Amino acid sequence: MSGRFREGSLSARFGRQFVTLVLALTLFFLAVPVVMTFVSSFASDWFGVFPTGFVTLGNWEDVIVGTGVGADVSVGSSLAYSTGLALGGVVINLIVGVPIAYAVARYEFWGRDWVNVFAILPLAPGIILGVAFLRTYPDLSTSGIALIIGYSLLKAPYMVMAVQSSFQSMDLQQIEESARSLGASWPRTFLTVIVPNARTGIIAGSIISWTLAAAEFNFSYIVYSRGTPPLAIFLFNNITNASFLNAAAAVSVFFLLIALVTIALQIIGNRGAVRRI
Amino acid sequence: MSEVSLERVTKRFDSTVAVNDVSIDIDDGEVMGIVGPSGCGKTTALRLVAGFETPTDGTIRYDGDDVTHVPPENRNVGLVFQSYALFNNMSVLKNVTFGPKMHGVGKEERRERAHELLELLDIEELADRNPKTLSGGQQQRVGLARALAIEPHILLLDEPMTGLDAKLKQTLRQELGQLLDDLGVTTLYVTHDQEQAMSMCDRIAVMNEGHLEQIGTPAEIYEEPANEFVAGFIGTANLLDGTVRDGTLSLGFEDVDTPEAVASNGAVTVLVRPDDIPVGSGPIDVEVTNLFYQGEHIQATGELPDGRELTLRLDRSETAVGIGDTISIDFDPESLHIIESTR
Repeated sequence: MSGRFREGSLSARFGRQFVTLVLALTLFFLAVPVVMTFVSSFASDWFGVFPTGFVTLGNWEDVIVGTGVGADVSVGSSLAYSTGLALGGVVINLIVGVPIAYAVARYEFWGRDWVNVFAILPLAPGIILGVAFLRTYPDLSTSGIALIIGYSLLKAPYMVMAVQSSFQSMDLQQIEESARSLGASWPRTFLTVIVPNARTGIIAGSIISWTLAAAEFNFSYIVYSRGTPPLAIFLFNNITNASFLNAAAAVSVFFLLIALVTIALQIIGNRGAVRRI
Repeated sequence: MSEVSLERVTKRFDSTVAVNDVSIDIDDGEVMGIVGPSGCGKTTALRLVAGFETPTDGTIRYDGDDVTHVPPENRNVGLVFQSYALFNNMSVLKNVTFGPKMHGVGKEERRERAHELLELLDIEELADRNPKTLSGGQQQRVGLARALAIEPHILLLDEPMTGLDAKLKQTLRQELGQLLDDLGVTTLYVTHDQEQAMSMCDRIAVMNEGHLEQIGTPAEIYEEPANEFVAGFIGTANLLDGTVRDGTLSLGFEDVDTPEAVASNGAVTVLVRPDDIPVGSGPIDVEVTNLFYQGEHIQATGELPDGRELTLRLDRSETAVGIGDTISIDFDPESLHIIESTR
């Protein structure tokens, strides 16, 4: 009885391979500039198709030591400054974002949907928030406080979303009520049971919002006025003032940072997965 | 352990009355069940006892003391949920010592108490494990150990076996029943599963739409249900309309002596359980319309001469009976229970 069990159509037979191929080509297309930039940071020339004159650490020296070729300061001081500012933003997000994520996941209250929308949608672009900040608090722009507050506002959605997904995977009400019936007050329940149970989401949210804050350009560009530049401004100065190869070394610092963060997130994700088994 | 009572308790949520003027007294060491269909108010009743809800009206007492407005953390209640709600950020041992720690019990004493309970529940080897890695049955035992570790005034069990498979449920039911008996813990057991409640509880409160329909021992509830709802909810029931006139009960197709004292003549509803109807001989012919083989017996649906349906229980050996056959049955006046006025 031929034809009774027909072979699949063309899309059924080759669809998967086709999608895989398109995906691989797209990833290759996106990854090549990153790899080329990183590789060229160790080259002394790039006039033709490929960089030449390997291997030199001169470009990295300009960036790390801060010879003044691209920016006035070394990447270390700029990175340290941004690390501190972004950490400040993360701390604010932990204090405000975690309770908001909890409230939205746990309770029914008037305006809950609106709180949720405002907390998880990055509504104001950095540039607009920056201008608004300068108009409202002109004195703050000389200190890092404006940057810290702005970073926390801009990156809050990533914290709230990561923590919320952790909360949503638990039976919050029953866990909270169990702890309270065992004699724990509400604050104690929140700090010793609820928050530790959402640890994976809190760590992931902190890392993501920190990384994005450390690299936030638009808001930093508008608000920053003098002193050590935040990392994003440092990178921008390198790109605009120095040769491409020098800028490549500066940008590679950021690539390495992203790679480290990605690895950290993977490890956290795997730990979460192991615990779930 | 202690006595716990709900005195004329009402709980309203906006326009919904979840619990309506309910009074239940739970004696010291008693296992009280609350059963009823979904939305009947049984979980709200449990939450009122635990302190997670405050009654709109009425009083809740522990050992005579009014605890109506005492927050849950000060009530000393042991709570086991359907999901067990174990703390996955702590080991099994830490889960069990959490309650005593919150009550200010010293480290050595609380560890000792936890080990005793884990041993009693036969899960000592799990002390260092993370609750996430345990099976449903093991998690339930940990939840129970954790709730018992605070030596609660009352143990509250909210559908604690719903997620388990049938065989495990049966085993745990026996073990839990035995354990509660041995420990003498005052317990409130909320479930929609009337079979579980019947086998585990000293008394059962049947709730429907926020009302307490009846409270009594499992035998009282089964044999003498207060109304049609209780009769239909607990076990399989045949409810037949009949008329009482001068000591005779007329069922339409059969007249029998009234089985018990009936206050007045008039229309009544009569309960007869399938297992109380002798099959094989008798004056009433029933046509079999459906058969359900259930392993231990066969449940049959039959049509009475006047067209009304009746559920019957056939012996497993009666496999010769088929759909469309006519079988003879009898009604034993002793096994009929008259539910006088229907609401």
